[in-house]
Amino acid sequence: MKRTNKHLGIKLWSILSGSILIFLVLYMNIYIFSKGKEGLSIDFLMDMPKGFPLGTDGGIFPAIIGSIYFTSIACFFAGMIAIATAIYLNFYCTNKRIYGGIHMVIQSTAGIPSIVLGLFGYTFLVVHLNFGISLLSGGMVLGIMIFPFIEVKVEKAFQEISKELIYASYALGISKAYTFFKIILPICFGEIISAIALAGGFAMGAVAPIIFTGGVLYAPEPKGIFSPAMALPYHLYILIGEGISIENAYKTAAVLLVLLLVLNSFSIFIGLFRKVE
Amino acid sequence: MDHIIETKDLSIYFDQKKILDKINIKIKENKITAIIGPSGCGKSTFIKSLNKMVHEEKNATIDGEILLHGKNINGMEKEIVREKIGMVFQNPMPFPLSIYDNMIYAPIYYGIKDKEKLGNIVKQKLIIAGLYDEVKNNMKMQATKLSGGQQQRLCIARALTVEPEILLLDEPCSALDVKNTANIEEMLKKLSHQYTIVIVTHNLAQAKRIAQYTAFILNGEIIEYDETKKLFENPQDERTKQYIEGIFG
Repeated sequence: MKRTNKHLGIKLWSILSGSILIFLVLYMNIYIFSKGKEGLSIDFLMDMPKGFPLGTDGGIFPAIIGSIYFTSIACFFAGMIAIATAIYLNFYCTNKRIYGGIHMVIQSTAGIPSIVLGLFGYTFLVVHLNFGISLLSGGMVLGIMIFPFIEVKVEKAFQEISKELIYASYALGISKAYTFFKIILPICFGEIISAIALAGGFAMGAVAPIIFTGGVLYAPEPKGIFSPAMALPYHLYILIGEGISIENAYKTAAVLLVLLLVLNSFSIFIGLFRKVE
Repeated sequence: MDHIIETKDLSIYFDQKKILDKINIKIKENKITAIIGPSGCGKSTFIKSLNKMVHEEKNATIDGEILLHGKNINGMEKEIVREKIGMVFQNPMPFPLSIYDNMIYAPIYYGIKDKEKLGNIVKQKLIIAGLYDEVKNNMKMQATKLSGGQQQRLCIARALTVEPEILLLDEPCSALDVKNTANIEEMLKKLSHQYTIVIVTHNLAQAKRIAQYTAFILNGEIIEYDETKKLFENPQDERTKQYIEGIFG
């Protein structure tokens, strides 16, 4: 009797938390979309910010483009390092201490407050390496922020491949590199891409790392990786923080949410596609 | 010199635990040698050490010498040793590729590009493995869709595409039924004219059926190593006698 009660308690608890979570997420999305959809037009998407103070009128085109650039640079940068780290840890590292050490570094990186990362990016990338306030600096700082996330997922994907399968390839006298590219990478490719896409969503919504390093109040769409750029979350932050336009802020938030949804559904789509295959 | 591979005082530790203790054995060329012994006696570790697969274990320490044609393999690259000493594992492990791609995986790595040549290798090795007739019409099928016995024969055929001199088999039939086991045993007998075969097996009857030589390992030591017939009919050591009579193990 007591046992069933206990089970019932846990069941109720999980159902309740699940429902609350789903309700909150749905409510938030619907609220933002319903507030944002009024006045959301092609002009708003394709125009430059205008008016005084800036943002009261016009659109957010450069911020959309800037956000996409920031996210792509961050994904590229973090993906490269994360995949390489995961390969090293999984297939080459034989020393347990080094393995533990690198893992500690990865976990600590995940714990660094993003504004501190921004400060580091400013002093090291912007000033010391002289990259300036630019897409490159901002993208790299975002990359550092999402790197642990990608690394952990990619490493897990590698670990899920049966050791015996890998050994079967080694036993043919085949090098680790060839085994990696011919056997391991094709198996994990979808998972790696979906990890990077999810992390990209995380980077796209972050403001703190780019405030000092790459995001600016106003700029035309960037010409190259050394140009500064606008970004949607930063633009949103300014619109609200300076009390410029609540209406435009909701519209910007809705656009940002749509972009994030696209990124996330991309990764879900890859997962489904792989299962069907 | 009728032996192809020889170990001298081969000891292997995992962390501090001794798995193999001063193994000295000479394996005869073009013969089938069976390694028997109870679970956990170190027989798998022993054959994995012959092609340096044991080096993949992070916590393994290897002492002593393994001589291939009188040359110490310690000084050789892992890849080169494994090119000469192929291995098939307990569970069939086809790559998640088509049957054909499984078969050309290694030859392409070793630089064979000519399509006709590749096709010949695939055909020849599949015929040896007795799989050709069963799969010749659907070479593009995923190898993982084959039955367990077919997968294991594919793995043996795949190991042969590298043209090894020695083939190590780690309990290749333990996951298979009687018919598939018989197929594989038949194939191994044929193969032993060209290749040296070392097979680890749980199945004493299997050792009796196919092996010319048998080694009995217990607790990391070779207790007895002799011609199979002698070892089974007239064991010199009391422990061997007990094991083959089924008193333990």
